[in-house]
Amino acid sequence: MTRDAVSEALPAPLEPGATRRLPLGTVAGARSGDKGGTANIGVWARTHDAWSWLAHSLTVAELQRLLPETAGLTVTRHVLDNLHALNFVVDGLLGEGVASSTRFDPQAKAAGEWLRSRHVDIPETLLS
Amino acid sequence: MATSGALRIGNSSGFYGDRYSAVREMLDGGPLHVLTGDYLAELTMLILGRQRMKDPQRGYATTFLRQMRDCLALAKDHGVRIVSNAGGLNPAGLATALRELSAELGIDVHVARVEGDDLMLGGWGIAECLRAGADVVVTGRVTDASLVVGPAAAHFGWARDDWDALAGATVAGHVLECGAQATGGNYSFFTEIDARHPGFPVAEIDRDGSSVITKHAGSAGAVTVETVTAQLLYEIGEPRYAGPDVTTRFDTICLEQAGPDRVAVTQVRGEPPPETLKVSLNTLGGYRNQVTFVLCGLDIDAKAALVREQIEAALSARPPREIHWTLARTDHPDAAVEEEASAVLRCIVKDADPATIGRAFSGAAVEIALASYPGFHLTAPPDEASPVGVYSPTARASTLLRRQAPTS
Repeated sequence: MTRDAVSEALPAPLEPGATRRLPLGTVAGARSGDKGGTANIGVWARTHDAWSWLAHSLTVAELQRLLPETAGLTVTRHVLDNLHALNFVVDGLLGEGVASSTRFDPQAKAAGEWLRSRHVDIPETLLS
Repeated sequence: MATSGALRIGNSSGFYGDRYSAVREMLDGGPLHVLTGDYLAELTMLILGRQRMKDPQRGYATTFLRQMRDCLALAKDHGVRIVSNAGGLNPAGLATALRELSAELGIDVHVARVEGDDLMLGGWGIAECLRAGADVVVTGRVTDASLVVGPAAAHFGWARDDWDALAGATVAGHVLECGAQATGGNYSFFTEIDARHPGFPVAEIDRDGSSVITKHAGSAGAVTVETVTAQLLYEIGEPRYAGPDVTTRFDTICLEQAGPDRVAVTQVRGEPPPETLKVSLNTLGGYRNQVTFVLCGLDIDAKAALVREQIEAALSARPPREIHWTLARTDHPDAAVEEEASAVLRCIVKDADPATIGRAFSGAAVEIALASYPGFHLTAPPDEASPVGVYSPTARASTLLRRQAPTS
């Protein structure tokens, strides 16, 4: 199941152009963590142009493609245009909570760095 | 923009077990009005709960008491007030221990505590203690930002419906609550800064709730729009960040680099808190145990299948409530390093009865050591079963969470 947040103030998208396949972390930072059985993955763009690209490319479906362990779960995307950031809330990723979770990373501390390591098609204009 | 007249609030702990020397570093490193420390996380509450079950005198973060033994005189000399949630499940016990400590050390300090029925509370109890002249305030579980909101509300005399000011201080509190995570710790672009020993964060809070996030001069790490953004994104949900005192609009926060290692936080808007709030209950949910098998070289899948069949057969007489297997293919073909030729198979078991998954489980793993896949070994010897916490969110009335009893 996927959900996008109700009101989304998105920047104008970048003009289409040539891309290169590189880690998402080339142009975005991330921090992730837990609240009970829910994980959150915050992702911010490093520049205004990178934000214009990220806000349109990193959809819930794209996140679930990059992090297949979230694919069967409810993921909600919140847009923080003021911070050039997206916040993904992943319900149920951590089972019953940190103390009882059986995941390798039971508090989702590294989920953000995992996401940054995934390769995506990044516009060359962001790579100068 | 924070200037003279701002309230300088530092943080010296983001969790129970954080850098011990941070209290001294923050008191020695530069001027402060208030030093806060967060010692409580979900897991910590469970640990403290178990301690209190064994001994009703316990249930608070004893590290904080040792830090005060080292630094209470320093805080008093510098006129820095201490606000900490180290009281955990027993703020009264910690307050008593602190009074005994101050008497023993001959330091004249006024210790106050906030009781909270083990629920997550807001900042007004802290504010009342400080207004009454407390030098040290210890609480149980308060919302993370309360350690900053309480002192700021007391200092500036905010009213309970000064929503924007309370929201601004909440943002500062959220930035500070995890210590060095605001100053370059655990930062995606750590290679661009000196991340070896980041200084702990400081918020200079203004009368209107806006702030400048900074750190003591000369400390390592960095305070940039990006390090602050990273921490703002930590452990949040929807942009309306609900708390017992105020709902903070994270989608209104404006960050701006205001100088080296100085980030201004302005324009934050607040709204009245919701009628009900989510409260986390930590309960004992049974026991767990785990064993990790190392599978090296060829036939990894077949090796995993064999050991799995052997373990499950050995446990079939009294099967655990849950058994989980994960196989991480960390092995590389034709590897020149043994560790890089190895995959890792984890078996996790859970049960209500520790006996089922204690020795019975570890015994099953050990007994096959000479009778299983070639190259059998474990990363560590199997252990006793350990207790499992279950976190269950539930709703409570916000008014209940605002009502709290400051006690001198």
